Amino acid sequence: MLDEPYRYLEAVSNRRDYVEDQLRQGSPIVSLQYDNGILLLTVGRGQRKIYEIHNHIALAAIGHTADIERLRLLATDAASVQGFQSSVDDVTLHRLTNFLLAPTVKKEFEAVFSSPIIAKMLLVELDGGQCKGQFMSLNYDGTTQVDQRIGVLAGNEEIESIMRTHLSAPSQNISLQVAFELALETWAVGRYRSLQDDDDNQHDEADIDRVAIEKQQLLEIVQEAREQGEIEVGVLDVSRRSKSKFRLLSAEETDAMVECAREKL
Amino acid sequence: MTMPSGDFLDLLKKHGYDFHSDPSGLEYVPKTAHLELTEGTTIVAVRYKDGVMIAGDRRATAGNTVMYDRADKVLELDEYSVIAVAGSPAIAYEIARTLEHSFQYFRRSQLQELSLEGKLRMLSRLIRENFPMAMQGAGVIPILAVYDPQSGDDGGGKIFFYDALGAQFEVSDFATSGSGSVWIKGVLFHLNRWGKIPLADMNENQAIINIMKLLETAAEYDAATGGYNSRSSIFPTIKKITSDGIADLQTEKLRQVYEKSVEVKLA
Repeated sequence: MLDEPYRYLEAVSNRRDYVEDQLRQGSPIVSLQYDNGILLLTVGRGQRKIYEIHNHIALAAIGHTADIERLRLLATDAASVQGFQSSVDDVTLHRLTNFLLAPTVKKEFEAVFSSPIIAKMLLVELDGGQCKGQFMSLNYDGTTQVDQRIGVLAGNEEIESIMRTHLSAPSQNISLQVAFELALETWAVGRYRSLQDDDDNQHDEADIDRVAIEKQQLLEIVQEAREQGEIEVGVLDVSRRSKSKFRLLSAEETDAMVECAREKL
Repeated sequence: MTMPSGDFLDLLKKHGYDFHSDPSGLEYVPKTAHLELTEGTTIVAVRYKDGVMIAGDRRATAGNTVMYDRADKVLELDEYSVIAVAGSPAIAYEIARTLEHSFQYFRRSQLQELSLEGKLRMLSRLIRENFPMAMQGAGVIPILAVYDPQSGDDGGGKIFFYDALGAQFEVSDFATSGSGSVWIKGVLFHLNRWGKIPLADMNENQAIINIMKLLETAAEYDAATGGYNSRSSIFPTIKKITSDGIADLQTEKLRQVYEKSVEVKLA
């Protein structure tokens, strides 16, 4: 069947539709810089979605758990071996993504006779010396997108675009609390849109640019999501004494931050 | 399909690195070759009120030659674990590095910390695998000090030492190793049994004073142990491990303690 080019393209197109449909309901992920590093946030349903890859590199993903785990371990193994045999400085986001993950994902996506990888990833890297970040999203077909300021991941590109617009260009000199509030708000915007998608798949261009939801509405979305799961926050923090700059915030810490955000409203 | 073990040594082997058969070839060198290998010297760990304090002098020697006077023999493995190494720095640093990466790899791949027992076994395994090298004079006898947050404030600090075959022993109050240890082991026992207070009840300052005095004593009798070098301002490396994690005792703090309580100024 695949010796005919049209059939191959059709098979890839079907695959794309299938994967996008599987990813559509994924809980969004938001990442941005704050004064001491980089924050990653999502609201999950028990399954962890934010991971440490190496001392200065973290990963967040949406998709099928088994696929995420496979890619996560691939990246962790490669980074760990490189960091040991050479130097931590040689473990970079660029090398991990462009030389390892992206080719693997692309190859699997185009192998139409095997099951596709159902996962999208966001990898972030902290340059400890300058406290600067780099954000790279890896799509299910192996394409990548680099950003120096923010990173978002959602069920489809349209929602990601809305989240990017909402997040705009936050200052790097914001506190962890402010970054948390901004990230949670952006997550809620993404979630809101994703729920809207469920109701109606048709949106015009003007509608995409206009995400007019009240803060109170955002809080309700967050509250509803928290009842079904929990807010997961990971940080790459330059002020950490240990070589690894990654840590997950505890439930107590996130609860306190949510309370602080609620009081501001 | 097998479950990933989180074993970093297995992963390294798949990539061509094998710790115990690293092709240095030293294990095949005849003993008659009289190699003068670089060696480290005196290390000591004591439990005190807040946790564990672990220290080492800074000298590395090869035969009668002082190779280096700023060697760091007290190395952090993770947030609550520190290893102090006496013996061949080449092997010691490789063991410490392998352990550090192994603990990190387990945490990253398995999404949980390696248990204390798992950490202890990993160190035993590395020492045992190094045995052929130890027989050639390139051995390592480490002390591992940890703070176990699960054990609470009272019993969180733990000290373990090993023999050349990797057997592991937990001690209740103190451990010392290296060529200078023979000069201070008895002193530690004396302090713990007949001192004004048992070692485990000392506060931080008292623990620092005792450790500096002990290392000074070892340096006095053991040529391979370095003492305080006033000209270059070289002090021992001392770290404390408490419920807050690991902290270095800074040179300025050690200088103050040394000048006030260790150095004897003749009138």
